[in-house]
Amino acid sequence: MTDQGPVLEDVRRGMIPAHIYNDEEIFRLERERLFSRAWVFVGHESEIPQPGDYVVRRVLEDSFIVARGEDGEVRALFNMCLHRGMQVCRAEMGNASHFRCPYHGWSYRNDGRLVGLPFHKDAYGGEAGFRRKGQTLLPAPSLDTYNGLIFVSMDPDAPPLREYLGDFAFYLDFYTQQSASGIELRGPQRWRVKANWKIGAENFAGDMYHTPQTHTSVVEIGLFREPKAEKRKDGCTYWAGNGGGTTYKLPPGTLEERLRYVGYPDAMIEKMARSWSREQLDVIGRDGFMISAASVFPNMSLVHNWPRVEDSSDEVLPFISIRTWQPVGPDETEVLSWFAVDAEAPEEFKALSYKAYLMCFGSTGMFEQDDVENWVSLTNTAAGSMARRLLLNSRMGLLEDGSNVVPALPPEQFSGPGEAYVGYGEYNQRHLLTRWADHLERPAEKVAQVEVSGVPAASSANGTGRAAEVTA
Amino acid sequence: MTSADTHRRATGNGGPYSAESALGAHAPTIQRTGRSLPFSDARHLEAHHWLVEEAYVLDAQHYDEWLDLLTDDIHYLMPVRVTTALGAGYDSAPGMAHFDENKYSLSRRVARFQTEHAWTEDPPSRLRHYVANVRTFATDDPAHVVVDSAVLLYRSRGDVREAAVISAGREDLLRRSPEGGWLLARRTILVDDSVLRTQNLAIFL
Repeated sequence: MTDQGPVLEDVRRGMIPAHIYNDEEIFRLERERLFSRAWVFVGHESEIPQPGDYVVRRVLEDSFIVARGEDGEVRALFNMCLHRGMQVCRAEMGNASHFRCPYHGWSYRNDGRLVGLPFHKDAYGGEAGFRRKGQTLLPAPSLDTYNGLIFVSMDPDAPPLREYLGDFAFYLDFYTQQSASGIELRGPQRWRVKANWKIGAENFAGDMYHTPQTHTSVVEIGLFREPKAEKRKDGCTYWAGNGGGTTYKLPPGTLEERLRYVGYPDAMIEKMARSWSREQLDVIGRDGFMISAASVFPNMSLVHNWPRVEDSSDEVLPFISIRTWQPVGPDETEVLSWFAVDAEAPEEFKALSYKAYLMCFGSTGMFEQDDVENWVSLTNTAAGSMARRLLLNSRMGLLEDGSNVVPALPPEQFSGPGEAYVGYGEYNQRHLLTRWADHLERPAEKVAQVEVSGVPAASSANGTGRAAEVTA
Repeated sequence: MTSADTHRRATGNGGPYSAESALGAHAPTIQRTGRSLPFSDARHLEAHHWLVEEAYVLDAQHYDEWLDLLTDDIHYLMPVRVTTALGAGYDSAPGMAHFDENKYSLSRRVARFQTEHAWTEDPPSRLRHYVANVRTFATDDPAHVVVDSAVLLYRSRGDVREAAVISAGREDLLRRSPEGGWLLARRTILVDDSVLRTQNLAIFL
């Protein structure tokens, strides 16, 4: 492997070697050093509300059954039979008390415990040959939740999720804790695009600059009233902890007036007022900023917008979407895009918010259609030798001497944590890629191996808990 | 009827997807009756002819013309298909779809393509809708027929990009137009992929 040090150094000063968006070696490093460690979003508890409910989700190539056991606990179980390695669950979702491998019939409870082993006595001599007791499908090395959002990390020593999110949790609440009941998720829509996964994450994190150009058409047809260039640059971008996002500046008014302006009914506004902290409410009510798109490092994004969904009315209606940019290869990404809505929202609101989502984002969304066209084109162009000669300038918002074009918003103008700047800038894209560079330069740790009812190796007193180099 | 019953489709297309959608309340609920009509039946010939004409309109992206082929109360639905165990009783993501449209949302999609800033279709894709396996059913209302078809869309963009192929079954409800001919009043598109292999659905099926 060639030394990527110079590439990472360029990235840190906001100069992006264009080939990082389509490069086998870079992708191999991302797999070994980034996705082997970072917390990756895989689903929401509302997708599996009942004992036995499960969804199957992947982190890169690894398939996990995300299941709620009979004890109510959510687990992520590596979808590989302990015997010959078959997938024990080949559906995408469902409800099951057990998963039975179709190959030799080993079966597991929905908490992962091995309970069925045909001919255990005849074939293995019972427990003396194979210790069935205590065997379980391999759990994800780490699993943690925040507001019902389920994350998995391939690092058994990953920091707690809340610590990893840091101050971004403050902003995550706007999307996922509008009432005490939190959100419910529907979907995901899944589709594969020939684009590098980082592009979408960067775009949602901070690219307010693309809105007036890429999304001209949705304003022209009356779907969205906001993204005129004038409006977009009045918003701010913020970065806090391990995530950042964009906002729109709202017209003057009280908290209630501003939440009504984006289409929330009073019944929901009352719950937000109870659910969010003073500082959270001040971002909207006092400072006049409404959260829009955001990304959590590395590959989870969120979006909140408020289009017009009916002909008969000028009123707008807000929706929330959560998605992951799941890497398939250096030039291919699977998008998983969910619709999210407050669980306590009125049914009519839920239906129209769903409609707003479909019109704007997801596989058919009129915003998203044009985004992906750009990202596919960028990825395609980044593959060749010329892209290796080009360092893209991602320094918007910085002068050549490294000072800021505009000062950060002071606390009296922005009550949220982190750093926020009004107007166009690539602050958040730089934050994201700097974290990316930090991961790529740190060699992967050795991982522990699990032996399925193993015996000691001839040369070792203890055959279990060995460490192995993970290579792609 | 349990959800297991409602989604058991012995042969091909159709089913209650439209009625189950949160956005389907306005949709006509008329269902097929009996076996498919003989291929010599005038209603089948008209329905088949209608689908082929529509395919040419969609290939050419003459979406204004296409909107004129739809009733004002149309429900245009494309569920998200999911892989479930045999006997699970459902095969689509609950409460989610790719398209779940009425006339207004379809008209916005068409209006967008007609701006000069719908980048995803400028330059436009080259499209070919192949329509096959057409069968027609009578309904309790002589002004309506139900038509099943298979559609294969070949979508090619640019010069060397790999083309996208989308395979789907469709169930259509056609209504006699007061001006003669037929209009589409309900369409359910059962795409055959769980994970779509196309960059977006900036097309119609």
